[in-house]
Amino acid sequence: MNLSGIVVATFPGKVDACVDRLNALPGVEVHNVDHEKNRIVVVQEAESIGAEVEGLKAIKALPDVTFAEMVYHYFAEDEQFIQEIPEDLDAMTGLPQQQACVPEYLQD
Amino acid sequence: MKQTRREFLKANVAAATAATVGIPLTQAQAAAGAEAEQGWQWDKGVCRFCGTGCGIMVATKDGKIMATKGDPDAPVNRGLNCIKGYFNAKIMYGKDRLTQPLLRMTNGKFDKKGKFQPVSWERAFDEMEKHCKRALKELGPTGVAIFGSGQYTVHEGYASAKFMKAGLRSNNIDPNARHCMASAVAAFIQTFGIDEPAGNYDDIEYTDTAVLWGANMTEMHPILWARIANRRLSHDKMRIVNLTTLKNMPSELADMTIVFKPSTDLAIQNYIAREIIKRDAVDHDFVKKHCVFATGPYDIGYGLRGNTDKAKPEERDTVEKELKVKLDKWEAIGQRRKEGEVVEQKNRKKAGKHWLISFEDFKKGVEPYTLDYVAELAKGDVDEPLEEFKKKLKTLADYYCDKNRKIVSYWTMGFNQHQRGTWVNEQCYMNHLLLGKQCKPGNGAFSLTGQPSACGTAREVGTFAHRLPADMVVFKKKHRDLAEKIWKLPAKTVNPKVGSHIVKIMRDLEDGKIKFAWVQVNNPFQATANANHWIKAAREMDNFIVCSDGYPGISAKVADLILPAAMILEKWGAYGNAERRTQVWRQQVAPPGEAMGDTWQVLEFSKRFKLKEVWGEAKVPGLKAKGFEDGKLPSVLDEAVKMGYSPDQTLYEVLFATPENKKKYPWPAPKELTKGHANHIAEKLGDGWFPEHALWEEYATFGRGHAHDLDVFERYYDDDVRGLRWPVVNGKETLWRFNAKYDPYVKNGDIEFYGKALKALPSGDLDKVTNKEKTKLPGKAKIFFRPYAAPVEQPDDRYPFWLVTGRVLEHWHSGTMTRRVPELNRAVPAALVFMHPDDAKRLGLKRNDLCEVASRRGKIRARVETQGRNHPSKGVIFVPWFDEGVFINKVTLDSTCPISKETDYKKCAVKITKV
Repeated sequence: MNLSGIVVATFPGKVDACVDRLNALPGVEVHNVDHEKNRIVVVQEAESIGAEVEGLKAIKALPDVTFAEMVYHYFAEDEQFIQEIPEDLDAMTGLPQQQACVPEYLQD
Repeated sequence: MKQTRREFLKANVAAATAATVGIPLTQAQAAAGAEAEQGWQWDKGVCRFCGTGCGIMVATKDGKIMATKGDPDAPVNRGLNCIKGYFNAKIMYGKDRLTQPLLRMTNGKFDKKGKFQPVSWERAFDEMEKHCKRALKELGPTGVAIFGSGQYTVHEGYASAKFMKAGLRSNNIDPNARHCMASAVAAFIQTFGIDEPAGNYDDIEYTDTAVLWGANMTEMHPILWARIANRRLSHDKMRIVNLTTLKNMPSELADMTIVFKPSTDLAIQNYIAREIIKRDAVDHDFVKKHCVFATGPYDIGYGLRGNTDKAKPEERDTVEKELKVKLDKWEAIGQRRKEGEVVEQKNRKKAGKHWLISFEDFKKGVEPYTLDYVAELAKGDVDEPLEEFKKKLKTLADYYCDKNRKIVSYWTMGFNQHQRGTWVNEQCYMNHLLLGKQCKPGNGAFSLTGQPSACGTAREVGTFAHRLPADMVVFKKKHRDLAEKIWKLPAKTVNPKVGSHIVKIMRDLEDGKIKFAWVQVNNPFQATANANHWIKAAREMDNFIVCSDGYPGISAKVADLILPAAMILEKWGAYGNAERRTQVWRQQVAPPGEAMGDTWQVLEFSKRFKLKEVWGEAKVPGLKAKGFEDGKLPSVLDEAVKMGYSPDQTLYEVLFATPENKKKYPWPAPKELTKGHANHIAEKLGDGWFPEHALWEEYATFGRGHAHDLDVFERYYDDDVRGLRWPVVNGKETLWRFNAKYDPYVKNGDIEFYGKALKALPSGDLDKVTNKEKTKLPGKAKIFFRPYAAPVEQPDDRYPFWLVTGRVLEHWHSGTMTRRVPELNRAVPAALVFMHPDDAKRLGLKRNDLCEVASRRGKIRARVETQGRNHPSKGVIFVPWFDEGVFINKVTLDSTCPISKETDYKKCAVKITKV
């Protein structure tokens, strides 16, 4: 279980509409609304890192969102998270991680 | 998890988030307080990723990380993190994390063609020692090399640099930052005589204009972009211009996007200079008091090999241009020559030389850069009407020239990874200096740094083939003398010959001139252009490659020995970001398995070398410095004995674990400093000293009093400090350098460019030196005239597309920065080829089809993307380089800026075919 605190910024006058759209997203709950600075705090719950990131992308893609980033990351009780990290944590590895010898493609 | 507990945790997360970014808490949140965080210890840290240098806070309990958050007290990011920074803690826990040394073996013996087997550290060092000493014996100090990094902590970089330069007497240590910031550095030194930006991030909150020159800040420096966006939304006058070779994310917020052809940034900046003069917007007072005009040769080649010996037949036509070039009509106009003229590249080895010229000559130089010439040359989008483009260029000039408009220019790789990278950096200063809009709040040219410590470590510590700490260089006797004094070395220990830069290290491997290379904190076999050559050299030639890393990337897979490295929060460390802010952190958790910090690896390896093995006479091919007339480094053993050393002492004892260090910097260290955090390196060394503290103070000695002042180690660890921008004098940071109001090093006048390097020049005209007598230029900066030059390889009938490479936010980053975040897109895990939908159609390709991208040098296959966040114009494609499976550096060209030696990854010619 991953919980992330996300700050969302929007344009003046669009805050309430934004709040509604955010609450409508699965796994996302609005907790704080700052009408003065046009910022919203949401908490997102996701099953895996991949899902966390997909969720953030969905928030960023909402209309009138000028900024959305994760601020607080809670995973103390996430015993599963090591297993849930995708096999290729190495973003540069397109290969199965079992290969410790030189793969064919490097030979061409 | 019980419902009530889940709700409680969520409420806590929300409260912590709100508090972090300064949003008012609800009453219930304020009341709940810190119940969930019982027993947690929060400590400050620095993000592992880009050069922005955001602060993070890490919570640990019982040696495990509980949570992380953006640091609300960090002036850089004020509680915010981008998505990469958010994962700082999790990056250490991937499944394929390296935890044991791995050596290629067959039947228990090292075999370059063998499979990786786990071995002990002892065995690993045994093998390293054997091959390193063999290479030293056969080839001397130039036969060994370290691939260093802009992601080294300050301590790691300093330890490696000292080991190489003071120990092995080799200057073959060069960082991946060469691929990143070298052009910026060269331009700083040429223009100001001293490295690093004058301004700082606060410029954002003072300025009226942000001009992005080939810098996708939205994806690459997201938190800085957030600050710019904030400024744009809260300050009516603020404008943003995005200059780029392909339309990308900053365009969503920018007021104007200017899409230009690769390399024509050189022409556009000259157009602006010409307008500044034409409109009489020059700040004559500023220019007269603080600047001089200069220029240099144009026939400097393209950083390619000077022969076609190692070139495959297909590559030859490009490589041949290194020696001779036929000017096209645009170059002819911009360089005041004739179209079709064949120019021999005579100044390849003296590319950086320059001389003073008059203002009249400067005006003559920029005169050809009229709006008509530049617009026709530079317009990058074939579908954009020329008049539209011209209007935009005029508006850009308006912004620069408006006396009442503050303006900051930002750039990173678009300018630096450029065949004329040093020139194009210098041109940015040219315009800001002409206008007097430099080193003032909200006004200045600001070179953004890509990596987290290219400034703090690579540049400031000097982990370069030509450098020593604090902007000093190996080829100046005065600088070597000072280094030898601080390092307590006999005279003439330090090798005065500049070593091999990172691309040359690869070429030397290919030529058999280097036979031992150690990769530290980067991934050069994926990052270096024209990769096929280097991978072959590493795998098939007689050499020994060691790779220290956290995860197995291409460099690890190509190596002979892999060493497991501790990652960011597993060691004490310090980084220096783009605005000269040096920040620190403590070890938070222990490294897994047998992984060890890079500092320990260097210190432990240094125990294997006795003085008598490395301080004897050594040959250095090509050494021609004064005092070294016989081309050799003399033995310094006699002198060493006179100084009290014994030839049987190890480099560890002499360079690192000195009696003084052990006494002054003990481990365990005072609790006020450590706050109870462990230090796996000090503990493993077990001889009672605190390496990071000792290395810091020794390193700081170089800079204090020389305009690079750092405060004492402990100060950075104070609870109320979030890094300090150097020079830190009498405890005070320096916000704008060279400006008397803010910089204590200014002694004369209101502005003084006190950097000392290259401040005595001969004079001449636009084409040559006419008076060899040198004029001294204390306190001045140089306004360079640099012409337009065409890229060495342009699209033609056989290879009709421009290939631009770079990074993307979504696919978690690129290059030598290892293992930060997991792959987003498991369904399509590979990098994509971004292209214009019309081009795709013409080639018979649909979105997601597989295509082959090929250059003269190599080819890759990848899926087509016509609707992504990058919108190349027709005739241009963009491929990010993070993905091993789409190994785009097989395709790129290893052409560099001849002055900085930085590779140009942004322009070569390719063909695309449907698979």
